[in-house]
Amino acid sequence: MSALKESRLWRILTSPSRMMITVSAVIILISVVRQFTGINDITSPGATGATIRFTIPLLMAGLGGLWAERSGVINIGLEGMMILGTWFGAWFGYLYGPWVGIFAGAVGGALAGLLHAILTVRVGIDQAVSGLAINLLGAGTARFLSGVFFIGAGGDVNVSPQVKSIGSFTIPGLSPFLTHLGEKHILVVSDVAGVLAGFVTSINWASLFMFLALPITSWILWKTRFGLRMRFCGENPVAAESLGVNVYRTRYIALAVSGALAGLGGAYISVVVTGNYLEGQTAGRGYIGLAAVIFGNWQPAGVLAGSLLFGLTDALRVRQSTSVHALLLVVIALAAVYGISKLRKKDWKGFSINIGIAGVVLAYYLINKVVPDEFVTFFPNLTTILVLAFLSQRLRPPAMAGAPYRKGEES
Amino acid sequence: MTRKPPRFISLTTKKGMPNLNLAIELKGIEKNYPGVVANHDVDISIEKGHIHAIIGENGAGKSTLMKILYGMVKPDAGTISIYGSPATIKSPQDSIALGIGMVHQHFMLADNATVLENIVLGSEPIKAKVVVDYAKARNQLQEIIDTYGLDINPDELVADLGVGGRQRVEIAKVLFRGAKILILDEPTAVLVPQEVDDLFDNLKVLTKNGLTILFISHKLDEVMAIADNITVMRHGTTVAEVKPVNTNKKQLAEYMIGGELPSPRPASTKPREEKVLVVTNASANDRTGREILHSVNLEIHAGEILGLAGVEGNGQSELIELIMGLVKPDSGSVNTVGLDTKNANLREIRDAGVGYIPQDRQRDGLLMAAPLWENRILGHQQTEPMASGLWINKGAAKEDSQRIIEEFDVRTPSNSVLANALSGGNQQKFIVGREMSGNPKMIIAAQPTRGVDVGAQAIIWDHLIEARLKGTGVLLVSADLDELFKLSDRIAVIFRGTIVDYLDPRTTTPEQLGLAMTGEKIA
Repeated sequence: MSALKESRLWRILTSPSRMMITVSAVIILISVVRQFTGINDITSPGATGATIRFTIPLLMAGLGGLWAERSGVINIGLEGMMILGTWFGAWFGYLYGPWVGIFAGAVGGALAGLLHAILTVRVGIDQAVSGLAINLLGAGTARFLSGVFFIGAGGDVNVSPQVKSIGSFTIPGLSPFLTHLGEKHILVVSDVAGVLAGFVTSINWASLFMFLALPITSWILWKTRFGLRMRFCGENPVAAESLGVNVYRTRYIALAVSGALAGLGGAYISVVVTGNYLEGQTAGRGYIGLAAVIFGNWQPAGVLAGSLLFGLTDALRVRQSTSVHALLLVVIALAAVYGISKLRKKDWKGFSINIGIAGVVLAYYLINKVVPDEFVTFFPNLTTILVLAFLSQRLRPPAMAGAPYRKGEES
Repeated sequence: MTRKPPRFISLTTKKGMPNLNLAIELKGIEKNYPGVVANHDVDISIEKGHIHAIIGENGAGKSTLMKILYGMVKPDAGTISIYGSPATIKSPQDSIALGIGMVHQHFMLADNATVLENIVLGSEPIKAKVVVDYAKARNQLQEIIDTYGLDINPDELVADLGVGGRQRVEIAKVLFRGAKILILDEPTAVLVPQEVDDLFDNLKVLTKNGLTILFISHKLDEVMAIADNITVMRHGTTVAEVKPVNTNKKQLAEYMIGGELPSPRPASTKPREEKVLVVTNASANDRTGREILHSVNLEIHAGEILGLAGVEGNGQSELIELIMGLVKPDSGSVNTVGLDTKNANLREIRDAGVGYIPQDRQRDGLLMAAPLWENRILGHQQTEPMASGLWINKGAAKEDSQRIIEEFDVRTPSNSVLANALSGGNQQKFIVGREMSGNPKMIIAAQPTRGVDVGAQAIIWDHLIEARLKGTGVLLVSADLDELFKLSDRIAVIFRGTIVDYLDPRTTTPEQLGLAMTGEKIA
């Protein structure tokens, strides 16, 4: 029996159902909070739409990080690659249309990815140093190119001319039905309907296109020969090389794809979200994408979950700061439930810490009617820090990600 | 130590006649590295279906030879024939194509992947051009498992496997690639005795099925037990080829080191009055409050080797930490070379004249990526002559490293090479040399010859005995009963955190010692 419990099959069988229970519980909790506070925007189609717009760039950066780290190279340069994506996306989008822009953003990111590959794989520079260099280079290059190209074209040193927008689609029938249902404010039912309505209403074609990167990445990693070899390059490159895997070439490809994905994320921001290039508009999303990789335990689905969480907090910021205030109730409830669950194991310390957190947040909730904007802006970053601090001990990163590897040398 | 000139003794090869029954034939293999001749005039013939052992000291050129055979290193001269036809092996792929598979000493596995994934990597059956056909791979693997009786589960995560299991995965890996000749590099180094038996059973099934096995080792017992044929290497060349039935361990050891083994039995001397270590009723708890040492009493006189015998994990490491002052006794007292460890820190204790040869030499004994002369300074970085004032003295460090290299026969091109470029035995000799510098009053030697070859072992033993004659007190912590019997003046037995018995090695049998280690009182 214990052998069965330790087997992979058992884990697969149990984890999704456990996940379903958790997800349902959170939905119900949020729904109750919404009903209680009357802040209906939390589960409105609009909030969902905003969440999608904020999630996609993080997802792309995260998948980029996943490709790099699974192949054994840490890619801190994601931010710089995203910046190049925003610039190339905006400029070529302005010249030749938005789809060309998105493609150009991918190319720009891929070039930076290849540079990272040359520096780390071939030259053997420390991966963190190379990544840092690429971040600086990305920002500097974008500013330089803006000065050269944008001013003559009706932009400025830090703003590009406007790009035509990419069309969006709404699924007829389903969208109005769900939206209507969502507006009834029935407990749970309306919440689920409202959120789902966001997924079928005014969805940008680019969002759909980019989301495809997730299942494709999953399929490559777990089904194909290249994916298997790439994973081994991250786990044990010496072993992979000894079995005839070309570790260098694999990492070159993985890093080019990594850069292309980050570039797509950047292009999404400039072409789809804002419609033009604005200096600094990535605002550290490359780093948060990297955090999503860690949050997601180096699994594609996990990266999506991480991106959604960070994307959601980002979306709340731009929607309504009252939402954040209401969501404090969710935090209180979760901390309290978690604290009480500690009682079962007679863990008094864990119990008191969690109940303490719940108490402090509750006091804050009652005293203040609204969470200050400064805090709301800081919320995504705080979430990132908290999540990583609590999760980091249970993670299973690729064993050799970040370690220098030279062909023919044993580690 | 006198070294006789190398000689070549061949009892099995028939000169001048092509033998169609040979799986591998190596002739005149030579490989030079800058400053080192790794292999020269290597001639080996390996018969099909045999287990052929290659033995030699660390640094005798076994590993280089295997790398040549596996295509990881290109030879400078010589010919290789596989099944009677000449072969050029430029890469591991070539050697795999010729049916040669390598089971590495350090496992080449990814923990975070299944057994099946680890095995198929690099030769995946493919469908639809890019997709791995795991079903087909699974069937192929199952066939191998059934044919050769390998006990592995394709879906298990490698992280969950023990050492023996990992080794079976490695073997399955090369069989999956159709290997008919298996090279096993020190396969038993990491195994416990039970696992060694399992491995040998597996190997016998393999040879019964017509496979040829090349078995590299420096453990003479195992080679005598499993091999059909033994080739001995020394200083980069083959010096003898014998069958186990025609030889014995002593003779093999002599071939390996090129001379007779020194007899380490120390001359009886009267222990001196002066005590270098006095542990009185010392008890210590670990962080969770569990008692790990219970009322330990131990004394070491100057000029005495005290062996500490015990099954691993009975408090040996904690006792060492207690003596070094890293752990303070919760009750009782510890007096190391005249210092009460309650009031002295590690630095003061070491400076008062304590040398420490740690059990894990690569983790605790050396900076692997630092040159030897820097490693010489370790532990002496605040005292003359390694330091002068605030500065370290590079010249003195280099000079004294050179002394160690010569006195302890450390095989290295110079004192500036990195520690990780040395073989394990040579690293250990260097550590022993460093810890014996400056005539310490006491030396703690934890498993000083574990995993080193007989030549290095002899040198280390010689120096421990010499130190004893000079009046150093030695605490010899060892799992090697042979070593304990040969070196110790007295043997203390530790069991569950306390000293349960003192034995006289002259009148005790190994069986009695073994019994005492399990906590049985000897009548």
